[in-house]
Amino acid sequence: MTRAVAGRGAVAGRGGVERRGWGATAVGVLLLAVMLFPVYWMVNVSLQPSGSAVATPWIPLHLSLHGYATALTQQGGHLLTSLLVAAGSVVFSLLVATPAAYALAHFRVRGAGVVLFGTLLSQMVPAIVVANALYGAYAVLGLLNSVPGLILADSTAGIPFAILIIRAFLGAIPVEVVEAARVDGAGQIRAFVSIVLPMSRNALVTAALFTFLCTWSDFLFALTLTTTEAVRPVTLGLFQYLGSYVSDWSSVMATAVLASIPAVVLLLVAQRYVSAGVTGGAVK
Amino acid sequence: MAQRRAVLATVLALAATIGLSGCGGGTGAGAGGPVTSLRVLDYYNNEPDTTIYAQTLDACGKQNGVTIDREVVPGAALIAKVLQQASSRTLPDVLMLDNPDLQQIAATGALAPISDFGLSSAGYADAVTAASTYQGAVYGLQPVANTIALFYNKDVLAKAGVAPPTTWDELKAAASRLTAGGRYGVAFSAAATYEGTWQFLPFMWSNGGDEKNITTPEVAQALQLWVDLVSSGSASRSVVTWDQADVREQFVAGNAAMMVNGPWQLPVLKQNPNLHYGVVPIPVPRAGEAPVAPLGGETWTIPRTGDTARQAKAAKIVECLNSDANQQSLATQRDTVPTRTSLDAAFAAQDPEMATFVSAVQGSRARTGELGPDWPKTATKIYTAIQTALTGSAPPPAALRQAQDG
Amino acid sequence: MAEAARLAMARTESVPVPASVPESASGSAPGVAGRWWSARRRERLTQVGFLLPAVLYLGAFFGYPVVKNVVMGFQHYTTATFYTGAAPWVGFANYLAVTGSAVFGRAVLNTVLFTVGSIAGQFTIGLAIAVFFHRRFPLGGMLRSLLLLPWLIPLIVSSAVWRWILDEDNGVLNRSLGGAHLPWLTSTSLALLAVVLVNIWIGIPFNTTILYGGLQDIPQELYEAAAMDGATGLRAFRYVTWPLLRPVVTVVLVLGVVYTLKVLDIILGLTNAGPANATQTLATQSYQLSFQRFDFGQGAALGNILIVVSLLFAVGYLRASRRAVQS
Repeated sequence: MTRAVAGRGAVAGRGGVERRGWGATAVGVLLLAVMLFPVYWMVNVSLQPSGSAVATPWIPLHLSLHGYATALTQQGGHLLTSLLVAAGSVVFSLLVATPAAYALAHFRVRGAGVVLFGTLLSQMVPAIVVANALYGAYAVLGLLNSVPGLILADSTAGIPFAILIIRAFLGAIPVEVVEAARVDGAGQIRAFVSIVLPMSRNALVTAALFTFLCTWSDFLFALTLTTTEAVRPVTLGLFQYLGSYVSDWSSVMATAVLASIPAVVLLLVAQRYVSAGVTGGAVK
Repeated sequence: MAQRRAVLATVLALAATIGLSGCGGGTGAGAGGPVTSLRVLDYYNNEPDTTIYAQTLDACGKQNGVTIDREVVPGAALIAKVLQQASSRTLPDVLMLDNPDLQQIAATGALAPISDFGLSSAGYADAVTAASTYQGAVYGLQPVANTIALFYNKDVLAKAGVAPPTTWDELKAAASRLTAGGRYGVAFSAAATYEGTWQFLPFMWSNGGDEKNITTPEVAQALQLWVDLVSSGSASRSVVTWDQADVREQFVAGNAAMMVNGPWQLPVLKQNPNLHYGVVPIPVPRAGEAPVAPLGGETWTIPRTGDTARQAKAAKIVECLNSDANQQSLATQRDTVPTRTSLDAAFAAQDPEMATFVSAVQGSRARTGELGPDWPKTATKIYTAIQTALTGSAPPPAALRQAQDG
Repeated sequence: MAEAARLAMARTESVPVPASVPESASGSAPGVAGRWWSARRRERLTQVGFLLPAVLYLGAFFGYPVVKNVVMGFQHYTTATFYTGAAPWVGFANYLAVTGSAVFGRAVLNTVLFTVGSIAGQFTIGLAIAVFFHRRFPLGGMLRSLLLLPWLIPLIVSSAVWRWILDEDNGVLNRSLGGAHLPWLTSTSLALLAVVLVNIWIGIPFNTTILYGGLQDIPQELYEAAAMDGATGLRAFRYVTWPLLRPVVTVVLVLGVVYTLKVLDIILGLTNAGPANATQTLATQSYQLSFQRFDFGQGAALGNILIVVSLLFAVGYLRASRRAVQS
């Protein structure tokens, strides 16, 4: 058992089999081209002069940047708010969910089954039900129009999922590793922080990605829990251009494109950690 | 570490509850001292409406010695917000509602009748008063109104030698002759939303149909008109997915020679110098009859916040928004029609393009005039029947009966 | 191979099934009675402490809404209730009204088709892509991150873009199919398929990311050991990858179904549950009952039915997969 765990990912290249060549890259690019065509279309519409989407040509030969001009001048602050709320939500969700996932995976605590069941159940509740209930509570607590309030609310998407997925990943970490550390005198918390966390990087990054993306694209809580422009994520800022009567689609698409850029950058940075796999040499 | 965090969070939450429980916002009963600011909720969330109303509201506020705290939400989210605020007793001081929603909200008891503050709707178009009335009392005042009419592409019609249609038969003939190449004769919205119902109402009402019973032959005939237009190819099958904004885009792109739409599209249409458009009333079943179009536009109400001083001030704001001067200025800036009948003649003279809409509003009808708070259920049935008939799943009489029963 | 099998057994043991678990202290050091008790209690407190923040959060943020929703299903809850608070008890009337309505049968069928179609598509394509990216190649990391873009885009934007792509007259899809006039969103027969395809597109990044993470966790040596036994390619996948991927697959499938049952924005954005209820699902019907017809009692009743369906599926699937592992 120990032999199989040792050197996980450390021997034959980081987390992968043999390296393949550019042929695979070509296939990958083709795959991406098909999958991302609607994204291309989004960029295409954002560059259209008329703001309409009916007669959009395949390639935007007649560029117009008015959509981007509008988006940049008006949505800068909103982008920052979105980033803040998303980052805060990731941190908060991981802080709450990871210890719980570990406890559910490894401890024999009475009621663990109930907690797991409750977590699963929470995923089945329509978000709008939660949003309506939260509005009343937030109004009383004065949490409306606040970044912490949004962070707490958006974590309803991240925490249950993080618990479930991290628990699934953590199940693979054998108990002996932790017990070895305990025999050496480490407390539960130290064992958790120094042994288990580093070994579960994959799980943490996956959960973080999910939380970030869900929070970034959240619209319902942004709409329900804010009443002024003071704290307005970009998903709500988009709606400035979608009136009851007229729609300015190129500004909407330009905002969406601009909103994607920082998120994509973060994702590119984060994905490198997923490919690393679990660090080896944990058990000698 | 995790434990301490939990304790801290609980303590903070408790402290917040104790310290802030009185600060829900606008819930104080009785007098709360001099009123210095009022909260307003509306759905004019995009330009140019948002600036126009910001200026108008601020001016009214200054006139009455208050600053305006404005909350703006996207149109579809307004009612949800109102309900949330009603249940947490945080309704605004001045609440804008789309006119067909007023009776729903008034039925909850959340609104105060305007007569409580000495306001009245005398001199307003009949439909406007009807929409804002619930059980005999008027709950809101609507400064400007709009409705729908038939837009047509002057160049295309001139080239085909077709005159703008005035009756249903003319409409079918014209649409058929104007359908050529990638262009459809006419475009309208038959979506599975209240916009589909809204566009269907003038055809239904002009033919004598009534929303109390949608299975009558008059309604079936109106639906048959739409079915004929789509099945003959004069209108695209995509009308079942288009909203009015999509319809306008089709018209502007030259994919439709005529469209059913409202005056709020005029600013966008004007941006196209190559597009020469004209407006005529919606065609009627038989020559000489008067079209009956649905009343559009938003009404301003005064929720019961429990603070008499604030409500009185809110009433002043509503009165100011509805003053003759503001009606005219809003109408001109927003391409809508003033609701006081005394202003109509002058307005039509000043802006001939709007003349068709002025007379259409005068002859319009409120959607909630007969069914009141029960309108949403019937509106849903109407668009369900429209969708069933237009997709060919059932002929109009059967579609209407299915919708009525289901 | 035996090692792999044992590991597989160990991993699939941690399947979330609500079963009673024997309580036992781990790592407690026996000694003097007093010290033993306090050490043990500290141990227990720490364990509970790991769980406490999550339990508090879930209770606060989900407990009240769930209870409220269940109660609302038994009440006559309208717009007036929001202001006056009066919600008369009507027992099962809402449930009867909702299940007896003409649209219910259609909505149930659409929900089943939509869910099965979406999950089948998302999972298989997601797994295929995850396996493809599992073996490194130049630019693999970057391509993998870009694959997450569909998830990143606000749903209002995605649904608008897809509406334009699927437009019958001028949409790009029909144009690229040689000018075909396929009524993607306007025909009662094709609309559901179109919505399923869009939902698959949106769901692929979710499946790919999690399955990829799961694949990365499988130790390299197992593949080498299997190769030495002569098992490569498809056989390696069947005997090494699949058993070890099981717990992750379980989570992905169960959550996938739960999330798909709740899907609302994309259907409303594409078709408004039309044309003629061709894409009306239980979730969209529940939303429309509450927020368009303002009959919140019926909307909640339908929402509760949906939650029960989710629950039955989750419990059923987990029990079945547990039994499969044990047999």
